[in-house]
Amino acid sequence: MPRAPAAIELARRAAGIRGPAWLWVAALIIAALFAVPVGYLVVRTITEGSDTLEVLFSSATARPLANTLLLAVTVSAATAGVGTLLAWLTMRTDLPLRGMWRVVCPLPLVLPSFVAGAAFLAAVSPGGLAEEVLNPIGLEAPARIEGFWGAFFVLTAVSFPYVYLPAAARVGALPPSLEEASRLLGEGSLGTFRRVVWPQVRGAVQAGTLLVFLYVVSDFGVVKLMGYETLSTNVFVNRLYNAPLAFSLGLILAVVALAVAGLERASANRSPAQLAPGGSRGRRVALGPWRAPAMLAPLVAVGAGLIAPVVVLAWWGFRGLAGEGSGFDRTSVDVSALGEPVLNTVVAGVVTAAVAVVVVLPLAYLTTRYGGRAAGAVHTIVAGSFAVPGLLIALAVVFMALKVPGLSFLYLSLPLLIFAYVVHFGVQALRSAEVGVATVDRRLEEAAQTLGAGRLRRLLRVDLPLMTPALAAGGGLVLLSTMKELPATLLASPIGFETLATRIWNAEEDGFLADMGLASVVLVAVSLVLTWLLVIRNSEHLR
Amino acid sequence: MSLTLSAFGLLTRARLGKDPRRSPGAVSDLVTSHLSFSYGETLAVDDVSITVPGGTVTALLGPSGCGKTTLLRLLAGLERPDGGSIHAGGETLSSPNRVRPPEKRRIGMVFQEGALFPHLSVAENVAFGIPRDSAREGKVEQALELVGLSGLGTRSPASLSGGQRQRVALARALAPGPDVLLLDEPFANLDPALRVELRTEVAALLRKLGITSVFVTHDQEEAFVMGAQVIVMRDGRVLQSASPSDLYSRPVNRWVAGFVGEANVVPGQGGGEAAETLVGPVPLAQAAPAMCEVLLRPEHLTLAGGGAWEIEQLEFYGHDTLYILRGEEDQRLLVRAAGAPQYASGDRASVRYQGPPTVAFDA
Repeated sequence: MPRAPAAIELARRAAGIRGPAWLWVAALIIAALFAVPVGYLVVRTITEGSDTLEVLFSSATARPLANTLLLAVTVSAATAGVGTLLAWLTMRTDLPLRGMWRVVCPLPLVLPSFVAGAAFLAAVSPGGLAEEVLNPIGLEAPARIEGFWGAFFVLTAVSFPYVYLPAAARVGALPPSLEEASRLLGEGSLGTFRRVVWPQVRGAVQAGTLLVFLYVVSDFGVVKLMGYETLSTNVFVNRLYNAPLAFSLGLILAVVALAVAGLERASANRSPAQLAPGGSRGRRVALGPWRAPAMLAPLVAVGAGLIAPVVVLAWWGFRGLAGEGSGFDRTSVDVSALGEPVLNTVVAGVVTAAVAVVVVLPLAYLTTRYGGRAAGAVHTIVAGSFAVPGLLIALAVVFMALKVPGLSFLYLSLPLLIFAYVVHFGVQALRSAEVGVATVDRRLEEAAQTLGAGRLRRLLRVDLPLMTPALAAGGGLVLLSTMKELPATLLASPIGFETLATRIWNAEEDGFLADMGLASVVLVAVSLVLTWLLVIRNSEHLR
Repeated sequence: MSLTLSAFGLLTRARLGKDPRRSPGAVSDLVTSHLSFSYGETLAVDDVSITVPGGTVTALLGPSGCGKTTLLRLLAGLERPDGGSIHAGGETLSSPNRVRPPEKRRIGMVFQEGALFPHLSVAENVAFGIPRDSAREGKVEQALELVGLSGLGTRSPASLSGGQRQRVALARALAPGPDVLLLDEPFANLDPALRVELRTEVAALLRKLGITSVFVTHDQEEAFVMGAQVIVMRDGRVLQSASPSDLYSRPVNRWVAGFVGEANVVPGQGGGEAAETLVGPVPLAQAAPAMCEVLLRPEHLTLAGGGAWEIEQLEFYGHDTLYILRGEEDQRLLVRAAGAPQYASGDRASVRYQGPPTVAFDA
């Protein structure tokens, strides 16, 4: 490559731009595409004439905003407590069956929140499982699960693994000698947790809690089901009748999400404290008389987040399959009707995953191989798109296709849906790709170069084979997220293009509980397999 | 970097915050009796009865996996013995029924990898075990001065070199004024030159402080430099406890002889005060049976030109030369002689024993 003149080179350095120019061109185009939806959201809000500030202080906003924040903060706090407690119990104590709990505790991740919410509603609906189980033993089934507490309960139950996973990994990586040193210096068990363990684990808990916060503010399904009014439900409802208001609310929602993500990043310890290599012999905290009762913690958490909902859904689904009526016409189910949603889900998911992996690869090379502030900025754009709720990204791209001249051919098309997915979930592929690029020792490439391999041959014969596991894991994460995504799919899907998620949603709204149950069981089964392959199997350090 | 001697004075006066209720100088022995411990099926510590004399350093020496670290963890109260007990000053610290928790033992420990708290500064690490009172800051400064790290209190552990980290770990363990100090191969992760430098300093420091210490190592040289008493362990059992010089000159068996130094063990015919060997008569410290094996340290053998032995190979180390000899019946013999090589490989030589009375083992 010809060397850039010295002046340009200096300017590049000053701007933190390192790496070959062609890579930068590709990266800038990709980053621009990632920035499009949020950019449009901002532009549209301004040009639409609706004054965001006015909307912000109007009663139309105050209540949903307060509700969103209340729910997000309380669920975050609850999951931080539950996740940390479970991480400590399973990794550091003599809890019975801890090996099994370590495998089971992350599993609620496979359950999309709206499916869990629908399951709890179905359980207490007339003729539901709660009635069936509780009435014979003389108990009144709860009439309805709804409002703040309903949403709080369901979201906490399905999202605590976001805290559990990083916290458990961190606790497991702590050298036991740190705790032993603390004990020998005179601290008891509690003091050791407070002064030694917690400061080490806090960063991981904080990062996990941020994910929960973003998950809650972007949630649409659960709050809608529970009849709890938040920004996301208001955006959804107003998008057709009062688009300016929807955009203003959406912008506020995006700002909340991005602000919290930014704050967490700023407060996070950038260079996590370097840990001494762990001694192999660990000292487990003896729970003593609490050993058996302590099992209630993981049991209740996993029971609420996975087992109970799946049992309810399976119960409805199998009742439908058996064709057994219960006074409702809508309890039978047509299995063949599931074929198309399954196919659509797989097609949309796999294409999204493939596109995402290809698109983020140049970015991964830039951030990993060359680094620098400019590459950091690119990474931030991609990561920020994950913080913005999928609902808003879909809203923006749909309106853009509708309003921007020349783009109407994209309106409610499959490519548009996939574009929205890629923008929203791209960072999951990016993180994995960065790990993949980092695993390729540069000296291997140099060795290939001295053997006469050109750039393309190096990529195909050296880099890609070595990166395949990481890229596959990243693609799998994107696939998993895409399958579970409800609001973006609802908004941006082509007409008549039904995925499992939208089918579950529509069946719930129409009261086809058996249909809903069966589709949910299929969705959960597929995500379970994917999660097993991608998350659990790859976290051997948890064992 | 060297330890400031003035800090010794400070410390010996104050004993670094030692509990004033305890009478000064009352240093009691640490005693284990019939201690045993197993990991699952493996018996890691097998019927160990040792005495760590108060106020001195005892080195626990053995190959990796011999149970020395487990013994140390039992002393610290980090493991509960399956059998036997640990006493200090008439108090029971550990028994299978009751283990006084580590935080109530007044025992300090320096871990192999330091185990510094990565989220705390050097000073905060050292202050960790000191009660919060007005004297705390002074004690921290004193402890840091003691290990030659004054002024590094605000640094983070990650910014220190390996040797500095172990100094901080030592300061942290000493700062609360423990009754006993345990050191688990504290220099194992350091490069050789630094290891030698640090062990000299720490040996001097521990002797000055007069603190009852147990030092675990697999390195014979380190054990000899550090320990007033050396305890040799193998397969969970104690083979011998003795002063370094006794251990070297009177090992209890062949294995110990080879583990604590270079050893020729040759067949001998004894019965009395001397044994007849292939290098001639050798004086014995104790009467030996008629058929025995005699320990000949290489530096106690001398060479003379011409004889039954062939010099197969020689290694010049600067201060001395090691000759590897081969006998007529293919026996091997190591001879260490001061100075530069006097012979070349291929030369023939005769060998004689010129050392103090040595030991013989049952054949």
